[in-house]
Amino acid sequence: MEGDQDQSRLLQNQLQQALGEGRALRIAGGDSKRFYGNRVDGEILSTRQHRGIIAYEPSELVLTARAGTPLRDIEAAVAASGQMLGFEPPHFGAGATLGGAVASGLSGPRRAYSGALRDFVLGAKVLNGRGEILQFGGQVMKNVAGYDIARLMAGSLGCLGVILEVSLKLLPRPEAEQTLCFALNSRAAAAKANRLLTQAVPLSGACYSDGQLFIRLSGAGETLARCAQTLGGDGGDSDIWAAVKEQTGDFFSASDLPLWRLSVPPATDPAALSAAAAAATLWDWGGALHWIKTRLAADEMRAIAATAGGHATLFRSAQAPGDGVFQPLLPGLKKIHGNLKQAMDPHRLLNPGRMYADF
Amino acid sequence: MSYKYDPQLDGEIRPVSRPVLLQSLTAVIPAAAILHSEEQLKPYECDGLSAYRVTPMLVVLPETVEQTGAVLKVCHRLKVPVVARGAGTGLSGGALPLQQGVLLVLSKLNEILHIDLENRTAVVQPGVRNLAISEAVAPHGLYYAPDPSSQIACSIGGNVAENAGGVHCLKYGLTVHNILKLNMLTIEGELLTIGSDAFDTPGFDLPALVTGSEGMLGIIVEITVKLLPRPQAAKVLMGVFDDVQKAGNAVGAIIAGGILPAGLEMMDNLAIRAAEDFIQAGYPREAEAILLCELDGIAEDVDSGVEKVGGILRDAGATETRIARDENQRKLFWAGRKSAFPAVGRLYPDYYCMDGTIPRRQLAAVLHAMGELSAQYQLPIANVFHAGDGNLHPLILFDANKPGELEKAEALGGKILQLCIEAGGTITGEHGVGREKINHMCLQFNTEEIRQFHAVKRAFDREQLLNPGKNIPTLARCAEFGAMHVHNGELPFPELERF
Amino acid sequence: MQTNLPQALLLTPEGREADRILRSCVHCGFCNATCPTYQLLGDELDGPRGRIYQIKNVLEGGRAGAETQLHLDRCLSCQACETTCPSGVEYHKLLNIGRAVVDSRVARPPSRRWLRWLLGAVLPRRRLFTPLLRAGQLFRPLLPAGLKNKVPRREKSGPLPQTRHRQKIILAGGCVQAGLAPGINIAAARVLDRLGIETLQVREESCCGALNYHLDSQDRGIALARRNIDAWWPYIENHGATAIASSASGCGAFIKQYAELLAHEPDYADKARRVSALCKDISEIVSAAPRLQALRAKTGTKVAFHSPCTLQHGQKITGLVEGLLQQLGFQLTAVRDSHLCCGSAGTYSILQADLSARLRADKVAALTAEQPDLIATANIGCLMHLRTSTDTTVRHWIEVVAEGMV
Repeated sequence: MEGDQDQSRLLQNQLQQALGEGRALRIAGGDSKRFYGNRVDGEILSTRQHRGIIAYEPSELVLTARAGTPLRDIEAAVAASGQMLGFEPPHFGAGATLGGAVASGLSGPRRAYSGALRDFVLGAKVLNGRGEILQFGGQVMKNVAGYDIARLMAGSLGCLGVILEVSLKLLPRPEAEQTLCFALNSRAAAAKANRLLTQAVPLSGACYSDGQLFIRLSGAGETLARCAQTLGGDGGDSDIWAAVKEQTGDFFSASDLPLWRLSVPPATDPAALSAAAAAATLWDWGGALHWIKTRLAADEMRAIAATAGGHATLFRSAQAPGDGVFQPLLPGLKKIHGNLKQAMDPHRLLNPGRMYADF
Repeated sequence: MSYKYDPQLDGEIRPVSRPVLLQSLTAVIPAAAILHSEEQLKPYECDGLSAYRVTPMLVVLPETVEQTGAVLKVCHRLKVPVVARGAGTGLSGGALPLQQGVLLVLSKLNEILHIDLENRTAVVQPGVRNLAISEAVAPHGLYYAPDPSSQIACSIGGNVAENAGGVHCLKYGLTVHNILKLNMLTIEGELLTIGSDAFDTPGFDLPALVTGSEGMLGIIVEITVKLLPRPQAAKVLMGVFDDVQKAGNAVGAIIAGGILPAGLEMMDNLAIRAAEDFIQAGYPREAEAILLCELDGIAEDVDSGVEKVGGILRDAGATETRIARDENQRKLFWAGRKSAFPAVGRLYPDYYCMDGTIPRRQLAAVLHAMGELSAQYQLPIANVFHAGDGNLHPLILFDANKPGELEKAEALGGKILQLCIEAGGTITGEHGVGREKINHMCLQFNTEEIRQFHAVKRAFDREQLLNPGKNIPTLARCAEFGAMHVHNGELPFPELERF
Repeated sequence: MQTNLPQALLLTPEGREADRILRSCVHCGFCNATCPTYQLLGDELDGPRGRIYQIKNVLEGGRAGAETQLHLDRCLSCQACETTCPSGVEYHKLLNIGRAVVDSRVARPPSRRWLRWLLGAVLPRRRLFTPLLRAGQLFRPLLPAGLKNKVPRREKSGPLPQTRHRQKIILAGGCVQAGLAPGINIAAARVLDRLGIETLQVREESCCGALNYHLDSQDRGIALARRNIDAWWPYIENHGATAIASSASGCGAFIKQYAELLAHEPDYADKARRVSALCKDISEIVSAAPRLQALRAKTGTKVAFHSPCTLQHGQKITGLVEGLLQQLGFQLTAVRDSHLCCGSAGTYSILQADLSARLRADKVAALTAEQPDLIATANIGCLMHLRTSTDTTVRHWIEVVAEGMV
């Protein structure tokens, strides 16, 4: 495509220069997810011009592209061949790139049914903190040669290396989709979403907002029609999925309160969570992902999440807690994280502090 | 290659006094859990790759996580290497013992601790057999998806260590996609929990890193696996071919047809006959190749899918297509496939199983090239593999009692792996590098990448005590091995598409 | 698998046989998955693959010690591993060779030796065992609990049918069964009579030989085999017996092995082959009979069937009895892990009491999970063993069928 270029060498040079001068770097693609994670002070290392789809063969179900490739270009390209990104990544802005999607590791509503972003990562080319370009994983469905550093990059927030290229597994696009809507209380809605999983229903989304459970079905047209008839409910607006994924609905825009993300086991009682946080929740992933707007202290939110068997992240807020937006790690894990940072980026050059203050 | 640990190529191991080690271990674990006499140690000298044999210094069989941690503490204190072993069914020598090391056998930790029906998870110990999980949850309409062909015997701990796949992973993923949480002991004996009961965890994705790490980063002592509801319907279709390459091309055609089969497997004539001799699955003995294609999901979708696949197979040149008539026949079709490796033991005393993975479009060309290599080396190759994933399992048939045959088989295997890399693939899709493919890692990764692997290893195990000599070669080894494999800028098989 | 047996050993038939079997094993480990002792103990040394390896080690000149002997002794010889093995490894033959070699090199402690001798001397001799048993039964109330458990109450048994039929078969009498449960063969004879088959009982026959063969003396076991062939031969040649039926699957499995055990004896090889070919489990005779409807039972009794290892793995008869019972109107329950041994395994329940009891507890739990009216089985060993730890009635299936006949 026009504008495609390989800037690996340029990025490598920039990194090596920064390495020589001991300057920290803040990696940025479209910068659409800058709000996510802790604040990083550093010179911008931009991957935005390092773009282009390198290989895409529909019969292989694999796409390889450079980090700066706009997510929307990738989605359009695979859609044209009847395929899709199974993890439905949030963009949070028009300029969202593949590299940013992988580094943030975030997945959309389909995650509970067809897998998370990390599940679709097959390989990655990475620029580590020593300025070396390394290739891990590959373009094939299975690869267990060496440690799975490619998958480790998913959600690492650029703290372990600059993602240069990624190979992703794709899924065939369903023939049709249909959204159903049920007026239920939160607890009953979660129970229903959980129950549907064990029934012969092609579920691809289940979220809850403001007294309504939304169910998305994906599959052959006739099957959807038959399932919709059996399930009952009202026809729902399919825009709900984009709104939940991109956080554009009323729930997200109604106030400036800090937005918390609670990731919990799917059978968690949503009513108990929202009672504990004294706030309404919008939940996704069939009940495993809760968005809560509250002024409650970070410690309280983390305790609520931990009690449920999960963790809490301060997703959007004007101000971050002293110990960062992510749930703190236990000492043993913290040590391993520090060692891994040391292994990949020994001079703490890349996105220092974005995930945790120590690295 | 010599598979024996070579201090010059694999790193020095500090000598340790066996009596001191024995005494220190006896202080923390019952004497009956330590095997030390020659006759007790011998049967532990190899895993599923019986051509590689090393008698361990000691075998330890802990019965609890606490005992396991205590053993690790002792080994860490005395700087004794530790090789973990589950059911010993691995095919890459990942659990090959060290003469100067402890073999830590986790097969007595074999309890299913908890089944959570609401969240559809099970908490199991590492020694639990893969199939035992699905059997235990079957009454609740659930199952554990990854199904390596050895699932009747292999342990879930070993599955995690190798990131095991199986015949259904094209649709349902590998082990890494089907586990949520791991309890892992570090070499210092510290218990860490990585992952969680939720769908994600703060920090780096350590379960992704540890899964498939071949016992090099920690010892897995508890696993929380995801369970899936049994699909409403599952049907398997057999396509019969008079030509292996036609079958290879049919694979790509199915995927290109927008179908994601639950399993898509291929067997060639040798494999068909061996499996048929064992289980009488009803495979056509005279066919050059068969494809088994399973579709699952909602009944109507499965039916329409089966029809579509049948058409694709016939268009691709299948001489016949058969649909398993009922659940029993479906199981029989799979039982034949899953027993095909050992069943080949009926044809030849030994087999050497390769595990290279390639892009699907290269299947026909690579199968053809392997046929040529087989003729060149005068060793038959039986093919039975995960065609949908492009994951080849050529079984090189040989007789280890004939001098030089093992070496010949290894050399042929090496050529096949090289072929896979050149086709844009990898040397191992699911069996792991282990000891067996340690040299071939040097073909796939460059110096910086290997160095990065070692740095990651040190993040978990600074003194390199966990399974040394496996998975990641030293640079010294690559230097040695690279010298043996000069390509001269010449590529074999120029018909393959290059990357 | 690679082997390295010494040349001298390869000159013997046993050595060649062992080498052939060892080389057919590819060390995949599938067998461990269905081995009862590996599942209990989780030690490679207590699974078939490890035992094969231990035997290989001994045959290749490695040390044969008490450890190896212990792990070979712990094998139940249930042959579940052979059913599982895709490579077709004839494990039991290798085990027999291995045990003989190890036992010739390693002496057991005197108390164990004495116990094994006693079992081997008494159990196979019907004329010695039955009077001893009767005495035990007479004094049962006075026996200590441990022994009392092993001495069952005396069973009443009815008369044999006297009708003559054109089709005649020999009904092997067995050794301990005649004393412990004489009703089984009487029931078998009644069922066969109803099906138009006359049973012949051969006075000169003896124990099939399995007990001695697996316990203390392979030679003695083979001697008994010869004796039985001699005893049955006139009935086969002159009296028109068309089959040798056994109502104990353990005996049947062993008689079916006569052919290979005597293959190298010129005087017996042909006769043994004929006898093995004629030998049938009672279920094979009944299911092949043309007038099966004559047996139709009147009730829908709920039966849990325990298929003895000697039936399903030894004789490779699977589903036949279950199908018969269902056909005759019985309701069969689902039994999990039905491939696993109950722990009886000949003298195993005496010599490996601990493991045997654990296996029995698991088996009884599996059999009674769906609250059956009764448990049916097909071998005297399993029957007596299971009876000692469940309140549910345990019978031979042929007795159940005989009683159900209208």
